[in-house]
Amino acid sequence: MGCVMSDASWIGTHTFHHSEFADLQRLSDEKVKKGYTISVCLPTLNEEKTIAKEIVILRSELMQRYPLIDEIVVIDSGSDDKTRTIAQEYGAEVHLASEILPKYGDYRGKGENMWKALYVLKGDIIVYLDADIKNIHHRFAYGLVGPLILRDNIRYVKAFYDRPIVAEAGKLRPTGGGRVTELLIRPLFSLFFPELTQIMQPLSGEYAGFREIFEAVPFPIGYGIETAMLLDINKRWGLDIIGQVDLDKRIHRNQDTLALGRMSFGILKTFFARAQELGLVELEGKMFDKMIQYHLSDNQYVARQFETPSWERPPMLTIEEYSQKFGKKPNKS
Amino acid sequence: MQTFIERISEYREKLLSMREMVIANILFTGQIPSPTFREEARAQHFLQRLAEFGVDECFTDDIGNPVGILHGRRQTRKPPVFLVAHLDTVWDSHFDYNYVVKEDKIIGPGLIDNSAGVGVLLTLPEIFKRLELTFNSDIVLAAPVQSIGQGNLAGIRHLVAGWKGSIRSAICLEGGELGRLNYFSQSMVRAEVRCDIPDNEGYLSQYKKNAILILNDVMDQILAIRLPQKPQTHINIGKIEGGVKHGEVPSLAELGFEIISDDDGVVQEVASQIQAIVHNIKHEYDVQLEMTVLSQAHASKLAYNHPLVKNALSLMEALKIKPAIESSESELSVFLSKGIPAVTLGLTHGDNYHQHDAEIRIAPLFDGILQLLGILTAIDNGVCDE
Repeated sequence: MGCVMSDASWIGTHTFHHSEFADLQRLSDEKVKKGYTISVCLPTLNEEKTIAKEIVILRSELMQRYPLIDEIVVIDSGSDDKTRTIAQEYGAEVHLASEILPKYGDYRGKGENMWKALYVLKGDIIVYLDADIKNIHHRFAYGLVGPLILRDNIRYVKAFYDRPIVAEAGKLRPTGGGRVTELLIRPLFSLFFPELTQIMQPLSGEYAGFREIFEAVPFPIGYGIETAMLLDINKRWGLDIIGQVDLDKRIHRNQDTLALGRMSFGILKTFFARAQELGLVELEGKMFDKMIQYHLSDNQYVARQFETPSWERPPMLTIEEYSQKFGKKPNKS
Repeated sequence: MQTFIERISEYREKLLSMREMVIANILFTGQIPSPTFREEARAQHFLQRLAEFGVDECFTDDIGNPVGILHGRRQTRKPPVFLVAHLDTVWDSHFDYNYVVKEDKIIGPGLIDNSAGVGVLLTLPEIFKRLELTFNSDIVLAAPVQSIGQGNLAGIRHLVAGWKGSIRSAICLEGGELGRLNYFSQSMVRAEVRCDIPDNEGYLSQYKKNAILILNDVMDQILAIRLPQKPQTHINIGKIEGGVKHGEVPSLAELGFEIISDDDGVVQEVASQIQAIVHNIKHEYDVQLEMTVLSQAHASKLAYNHPLVKNALSLMEALKIKPAIESSESELSVFLSKGIPAVTLGLTHGDNYHQHDAEIRIAPLFDGILQLLGILTAIDNGVCDE
């Protein structure tokens, strides 16, 4: 039962609670002093039920009351509900992902939206929040940017939280969620990257970091985005620049096991690709692209195949238009 | 008042620029469960928010009412004006309290009664600042606990009874309905009758006494009571609960009702008659049948031509709000019974009042806030001192 983590003290020095950053006046003053600008990005696809609430609360608390956030930008994958109209109504800047850098094509996925967002966001610090948080509170944003503003060594921050899930009839189940983390990611990290097991919820959809970090890493467009980003950042800069923040409760929609299976498939593909690059595993055979699941129909098992996108966007720094817009030295690597 | 009316469009514009703040306060407040007698978490939030908004004094009294005081101008300080919105809701804690915001409305349990009222109350310190409104009176922002049902207005009674010094006037806020103008309270007794049949008759008996049918007898006899047309009096049977499933004889049933009249004596007399009915039926069936009085209010009112009422009506006219005049037996009755001029206002339009998908419309909320500010300004300028 010995601990094999290479840096067991990380969890003690790099784990925070959102309440440590609740002095919003101090946080705003420090942000201004350091000359940072902060963008919040909400990647969306049919989020009309939750998008308004997120924008309203962030604007009220972190723009109107305290000047912590400079812009809220929605990057939409082509919602066919009223997501974009509602977001605009409440004052967010709204873009269709397909209209950003159109010459590079268009894929549907959260990673795609996040990657394209880098081209339109203006901030030095970028906060990515899922747009389906039912119990949104401004701590989700200030908790994530707090360590970036106040701790000079921290450049990338991930959220973790309790995850009650909404059961039927509007009732809440107090525990649950995080199944893919515990059944897939943590065993994989334990096998290959034990130091990363200190990250409580590697798949959490809320994180923030400096532009220099996000523009330098590739973005898988599908489910593997969180895992890939973590592995890439750890490989390039080490664990010391990463922080994690306890945001307390996050209420989200529950997903069924089959959906989680498809998510796991996408994550595994990304993971094995990274592990292979690092020389940690050697795959002799070819990995297949489709996830196969069975369901019972007319007393017969019927197979359904799901293709999960495995395409990755290259680091944004390698995109010429981006380098020109932000005055960056193009990185062709 | 005229000065305020002339500046309505300027104030409206400033209020609209605070739309997100108003909505956020309604969300933050309403998403904290606050059933009657268990309002601590919402009270804590209320105080925390007031402190953040720089309110001069913030405290909780010994019954748990959260209270904030904004000091009036030192040179011309007048007795305080109370702005109150009750903190409790009819909903228990086990619901998904997460509200949904749409383009033009907010949806969620307890919104109209009374999270919208409390949310607006919480935003007032910031609204006063941004609209540059200052007052001679201290403004007391209070969200009384234990208001609804068995709470029997205990919070507001405690706050007013224990207040040292005089109170200049009061405005009570409710989420809906915009146009509501309450300035009189009728005499009211709110009571429950509970029929409880012990299980010692054998749970398999098909012929055991039926609690619902016994309450039906009670209802029949209540409905047979002759009520005077003057003073106007009526009995509202508003709630009935009982039984477990279709095929099982119910052993427990409850009936909730209110007796309302312009006259305290008539209400007490009718309450005694119902008590006698309950007593008789209890002995007739030999069951546990009890009547419990949950809440009482005395008849009290402002005259229709009271300057506060007249000013409220003129302001509504200026804002094109159609007034709906009716009695209210809530916080208002406590102020009026102490001789304190008071009105209750609704803040916006809504639907599904006491459903878990209650909803309020966002746009009219700003007319609701404007009417509140106008009436408060009129009070501060002395309409209730005449």
